[in-house]
Amino acid sequence: MNPLHLIPAIFLAAATQLAAQEMPVDSASSQSSTGQGAISQDATPPESHRDTRYSLAVIDDATFYSDLQAPLPQVQNQVLVEPSLTLRYKPRWSFSTSLIGVADRYTDNFSQIRVKEAYAGLSAGDFDFMAGRRIVRWATGYAFTAAGVLDPPRIPTNPTDRLNLNEGRDMLKADYVHGPHAFTLAWSTAALAPEPNVHDTTAFRYNVLVRGFDTSLIAGHDRGGDSFEALTFTRVLGEAFEIHGEAAWREHEAVLIGGKYTTASGITVIGEFFSPPDIPYFRDATPYPLTGRQHYLYIGARKNRLREVPHWKEWDLAVSAVSNLNDLSYTAVIDATRRFGNYFSSYVHLEVPAGTSKSEYGATPYSAATSIGLRFQL
Amino acid sequence: MSSTHTNSINCAVRALMFVLFIGILIAYAAMSRAATPAVPDALAALRRSDSFRNGWPSYILNVKITSFESGKAGEVKLYEVSQKGTEKTYVEFMSPREKGQHLLMLGDDMWVYLPDTSRPVRITPLERLSGDASNGDVARTNYAADYTPTYVRTEEAGGEDCYVLDLAAKRKGATYQRILYWIRKQDDRPVKAEFYLTSGKLIKFATFDEYLNVAGHAQLRRMTLHDEIRHNSSSVLEYSGIAPRELPDKLFYQGRTDRF
Repeated sequence: MNPLHLIPAIFLAAATQLAAQEMPVDSASSQSSTGQGAISQDATPPESHRDTRYSLAVIDDATFYSDLQAPLPQVQNQVLVEPSLTLRYKPRWSFSTSLIGVADRYTDNFSQIRVKEAYAGLSAGDFDFMAGRRIVRWATGYAFTAAGVLDPPRIPTNPTDRLNLNEGRDMLKADYVHGPHAFTLAWSTAALAPEPNVHDTTAFRYNVLVRGFDTSLIAGHDRGGDSFEALTFTRVLGEAFEIHGEAAWREHEAVLIGGKYTTASGITVIGEFFSPPDIPYFRDATPYPLTGRQHYLYIGARKNRLREVPHWKEWDLAVSAVSNLNDLSYTAVIDATRRFGNYFSSYVHLEVPAGTSKSEYGATPYSAATSIGLRFQL
Repeated sequence: MSSTHTNSINCAVRALMFVLFIGILIAYAAMSRAATPAVPDALAALRRSDSFRNGWPSYILNVKITSFESGKAGEVKLYEVSQKGTEKTYVEFMSPREKGQHLLMLGDDMWVYLPDTSRPVRITPLERLSGDASNGDVARTNYAADYTPTYVRTEEAGGEDCYVLDLAAKRKGATYQRILYWIRKQDDRPVKAEFYLTSGKLIKFATFDEYLNVAGHAQLRRMTLHDEIRHNSSSVLEYSGIAPRELPDKLFYQGRTDRF
């Protein structure tokens, strides 16, 4: 059975629930004080049917390449303007959009506006529906992913997408959430996808929390491509450990296992091992032609707010390294961020690749890339 | 005849002595009771003190956290908190640098939703402790659900006669492993708290500074967290917009990616 046929059925079931659903009752009521001497009084705010959220980020980023081995400029300047707006009417209807305006000066001077996300949502009882472009991440991996069939690509040297450049997939999505169970059916079209090698994808996900294990089963099909199945999990152990993993089958098996440890002083260490098979789906993510199954290791440590050091409370520091264990090449990354007040921050991002000229990271055409930038957030 | 009369006198004297003895016992017991202060029911007192921060089974509130360093105000953070029961808390981050982030706490399990992803990130109990005001300080305020209280003593704090309760964490997932808690003797209102790590180290203490009356419930309006490791650091938490609300269960489901 084509999973797409399930979507109208789900819409029908939701419409039934929507009709039967009672309007939420505003239980907020303002009452007079009971007259306790020193206690001031406050009226309870009325429940609003309309809600708005907005944000704006402006980033000026300059990247300097050292020992560049290609006929390219050594400095790339980018100015990014990233507004976002979400409107919600009652708890039921929502609309959200997030744009990226880029002015780039490198090999060419160009300006463009990209749609990061733009979607409308309807919530009806236990059902949620969404249509439009949306970033979803079903996978649990931090620097890599085996199971993220609709996820934006993970870049291990930039796992947090520091410039917020990831764009969503265009999709229709239906969620059914009941008790601890969530079922999601999504169909994504590649027609408007900015990246090449993206297929129309139909995917299903079942998510449940059992005994602290946040577990998902994923299955789906790329039109004109592969079918796939995957399992993901996360679990917190004690006060300081978190473990997560992904196992996926797409022609061959792909495995990711990772963990996170937080020290009493607030330093968080993340490690991940990833082994993808040698198939086009996983090769597309790497620029270097690789042969055979690859094995990767990611190790990172970060500390937000260096409170222990006098006058460094506004600083965040992170160091990480990603290595291809087959050719022993790696890239080391250092990030430092300094906050100024409530709206401004500046940062330095340094990438240093190493390895032989025919290795994955050693083949990077520069010896170091240093990005410095200023960020305003509203 | 004489013997019968003597027996009657003996009986009367015995009865009188017995009544006298019982009377002395009762008087002694009453005097002892008056001299010893009543020991409060620690759990009942803790539950009543929780009601000053959790006035309804389901409610919303806004939290504004201002950090101070050497008395100078620093970054301001804003949160919208939705609480249902003692186990479900959903926090939306509203300050400019954190907009789009959400935090979900279900019992001991905790997730953070980051704006560039829809993926919930599991965080450990120790990650809750970052900052002068930790995630747990904002999202986990029902102490009776997380801690076992023991009455320690009665003493004055903040100009009030207070019961001092020793709260021991029921699970490792609790925000703190031990809290020493001063609640007002008169009505169990929180006055002061000291927070300890597993190692026994005192990391911060709180003063509960101001209350306001919301729909007939006295609710915490302002508290101050003092950092005991960096003594010149503190955070002021101001609560506003407190209101009972019917909150849907699916707001608190970790697999729901369609966050606001």
